[in-house]
Amino acid sequence: MRGVRGIWNSSNKLKIGLLIILFFVVVAVLNEPIVRMIGRGKDPIETAAYMPWQLPNRTNWLGTDRYGRDILALAVKGLAASLQVGAVAGLISTFIGVLVAFLAGYKGGRVDSILSGVADMFLVVPSLPILIVLSAYVTNLNLFTIGLILAIFSWALAARVIRSQVLSLRTRPYVELAKVNNMGDLEIIFQELVPNLLPFIAVGFANAVLGSIFALVGLEVIGLGPSNVIDLGLMLNWAIGWGTLSLGMWPLFVTPIFILGMLFFAVNLINIGLEETYNPRLRKVAGA
Amino acid sequence: MTDGREHRIEVQHVTQEFRGAAFRSTGGKLVAVNDVTFALTDNPPQIINLVGQSGSGKSTLARIILGLQKPTSGTVTFNGKDIYRLSRRDRAEFLRMVQPVFQDPYGIFNPFYRVDRVLWKPIKKFRLAKSRSQGLELIERSLRAVDLRPEDVLGRYPHQLSGGQRQRVMLARIHMLQPRFIIADEPVSMLDAAVRVAFLNLLIDFRDKYGMTTLFITHDLSTSYYVGGEIMVMHKGRIVESGRVDDVLLHPQHPYTRTLLASVPVPDPDARWRDKAAVAIEEEEVVVESPNMEAPNP
Amino acid sequence: MTQESIARERTRSAEGEPLLEVRDLRVYYRTVAGISRAVDGVDLEVRRGEILGIAGESGSGKSTLTTALLRLTKPPGFIAGGSVIFHPREGAPVDLMKLSDSQVREYRWRNLSYLPQGSMNSLNPVMKIEDQFVDVITQHSDIPARKAREMVPSLLEQVGLDPHVARMYPHELSGGMKQRVIIAMSVALNSDLVVADEPTTALDVHIQRVVIQTLASLRDEFGMTVILVTHDMAVHAELADRVAVMYAGKIVEVSDVHQIFKDPKHPYTQGLIASIPKIGGERRRLSGIGGNAPSPLNWPPGCRFHPRCPYVMDVCRQQEPPLLPLVNGRQRPPVVACHLYTQQQVSGGSDDRRS
Repeated sequence: MRGVRGIWNSSNKLKIGLLIILFFVVVAVLNEPIVRMIGRGKDPIETAAYMPWQLPNRTNWLGTDRYGRDILALAVKGLAASLQVGAVAGLISTFIGVLVAFLAGYKGGRVDSILSGVADMFLVVPSLPILIVLSAYVTNLNLFTIGLILAIFSWALAARVIRSQVLSLRTRPYVELAKVNNMGDLEIIFQELVPNLLPFIAVGFANAVLGSIFALVGLEVIGLGPSNVIDLGLMLNWAIGWGTLSLGMWPLFVTPIFILGMLFFAVNLINIGLEETYNPRLRKVAGA
Repeated sequence: MTDGREHRIEVQHVTQEFRGAAFRSTGGKLVAVNDVTFALTDNPPQIINLVGQSGSGKSTLARIILGLQKPTSGTVTFNGKDIYRLSRRDRAEFLRMVQPVFQDPYGIFNPFYRVDRVLWKPIKKFRLAKSRSQGLELIERSLRAVDLRPEDVLGRYPHQLSGGQRQRVMLARIHMLQPRFIIADEPVSMLDAAVRVAFLNLLIDFRDKYGMTTLFITHDLSTSYYVGGEIMVMHKGRIVESGRVDDVLLHPQHPYTRTLLASVPVPDPDARWRDKAAVAIEEEEVVVESPNMEAPNP
Repeated sequence: MTQESIARERTRSAEGEPLLEVRDLRVYYRTVAGISRAVDGVDLEVRRGEILGIAGESGSGKSTLTTALLRLTKPPGFIAGGSVIFHPREGAPVDLMKLSDSQVREYRWRNLSYLPQGSMNSLNPVMKIEDQFVDVITQHSDIPARKAREMVPSLLEQVGLDPHVARMYPHELSGGMKQRVIIAMSVALNSDLVVADEPTTALDVHIQRVVIQTLASLRDEFGMTVILVTHDMAVHAELADRVAVMYAGKIVEVSDVHQIFKDPKHPYTQGLIASIPKIGGERRRLSGIGGNAPSPLNWPPGCRFHPRCPYVMDVCRQQEPPLLPLVNGRQRPPVVACHLYTQQQVSGGSDDRRS
């Protein structure tokens, strides 16, 4: 297999983007030990763990919030929750999207027409209003359910993108060669097409994750969505609702925005980096 | 792998139509192949040239004969059996006997895998060897038969080989399979002149040493002349003239063949067109683009 | 072009004065694997009114050379050295390599035109032909749009097209017509020089013929100088006056086209000529050229062709042969870079590099 290492090395942007994401993922996975470390013995996100409304100082690197909770710890917890939701939504939507895309793209004909039509419907449906309505009715959701709901609105885009890639690869000479080698349809899909589409699937996944995180943040900022789980969107909601900026208590506002911004930035770097890798014209390599 | 029998591919009244909105100017459809009939035999082994310009339908015809595209009407039979209605075993047998060489030495390799895979796949799918060492021996022998050194090729990725080397790997694959028929669709169009000659010489050798018949599809009349044999001239889906290469190319009868020949640049500065009277050229009208249909030709 | 400028051009071009002098041109690429020396010391002279063919296979550097001549090299390629001196009809000679980007732009289109490979597909599908001409002319000159529009019919006639084509859209034209439109556009501003990069490759034979005849007429009727870059030797035979053969980033032979085909001097040229199938005549097995093309990341030492040369000698492995004229009593002898001929060659100053 050519190239995980080749792909890794192919673009600096890709490397940086992946490293940033990796950093955040590690922090999220290790959120409990990290929070404990921050707390130094006590639970830093317990109400009144510290004095409220502290600006960044030696004990609380990002200060504390209205209830005296350490903001850095909140951020770590929030990051973990947001990424969890994103991951669930991303996995489900990518899975459905890939399935639909390969079936539609490779089989073509009527199967393609039906599946593409369904995907188009989902794309056209305005997701935010529906999400708002849904979340107004259901307030006690766990992360998984939220992820599932968000997935319903993001699979279609992944499906479309991957489908067009499948269409373009389907007529490649090496696919024809596979057919004259007496390979079956499924064999061809998994052995010839999927490996070449892994980067696209990965990008589709990354974008689905990001899209879902932002959708949830969007909901929470306007006050909808689950309030029993601390995530980045909820922090932002508090920051706005408690008027932190006018109080001069900037960390609660800036921190989630910074993290979200970095995630967005990193995923875009990955997108661009992968495009550089796969579009030879953009690369820095040339022949005579 | 000759078993003494004669093998025949019969193309009978094959027509291929493509439909779609893109073809509105021609009545809603494009007839890429129009009622074509001919036969290929491996007894005696020979080279049959199929020449035509882009849009003539020759690549579509190649795909039909390889079993990749079922024609709108007409049949293609292999030793009497319709290749689009074969049992699983007969289909494997057919594929083993009829193999392609494609035009694009870049596209023919899946960039994800090493070059070796192209050689191992047929061994596995057609059970050409009983053990790994036997398979390796087969691969090395076939690479050498096409003037490639195994150490230059095995273990590499496609982008590390030149276009000429890649096409030769395709011939090595053919050598391993020992089919009766090679359907070569513009195999040398993307190769440089010197590399081209080496490849064509191999095709000729395959006929003489292994008794393979090649359907050599090209737009370049000079290469047809070089390989010799029989020739069919295709224009807008129809075969307009056929016969022996020396007859057709030196004494063309059909006006299209004559026009084609008059347009081939002659590699002799003493015999230039500009120094002779101008010949009126009939140009191809209307280029059709097919966004959501399979285009008849690349 | 006006009648008098045509006449003037004819007198000028009769003598073959230099139009472009290329000295030790080097164009390299920065790649992840190192520096690729695609064009590695090219000396060439292009004369007014001639059709100079540049022959060579893929990897020889000829496309890099042509883009470099017009200062169209894009990163990761860069000009590593050398000069390209352009001799305009009026005014002093100027080294194109020393100009700024904006200065060079003035010369392009007006004096130097470029016909890239596959350019017939670059016509804007949603604009009428006439409008595209006006676009091109107004962008690269001071001619106002109205005057530009008036020029279109005669420009089309120049390439053998009927003036009513001006009002058509590209998809209504055949391939040959589109290619001719492109040619007309690139010479619309009365260029001195047209550089055509693989103008016939991947085209059907009848379009090829049209293109070849159009390019020939540009020179025959309008006195333009043409540099024709192609690997197809038959096209050189049909069109070129002189042919420069490129191998491994350098010119190995320059000669009159008849000489190249009848009596090629350099073993590589001999191999190239021996690889051309020709219709008619006895059918012999062609030999081609053994070995593989070398890599621009790592050219062979000494003479770059030595690993594949049937006449290789010891000196070939160590020393690069210089490109020098072969003294044979002719007024314009062939120029070859090969140790086989070193005794017959006169070494001298740069004046002697003419052929």
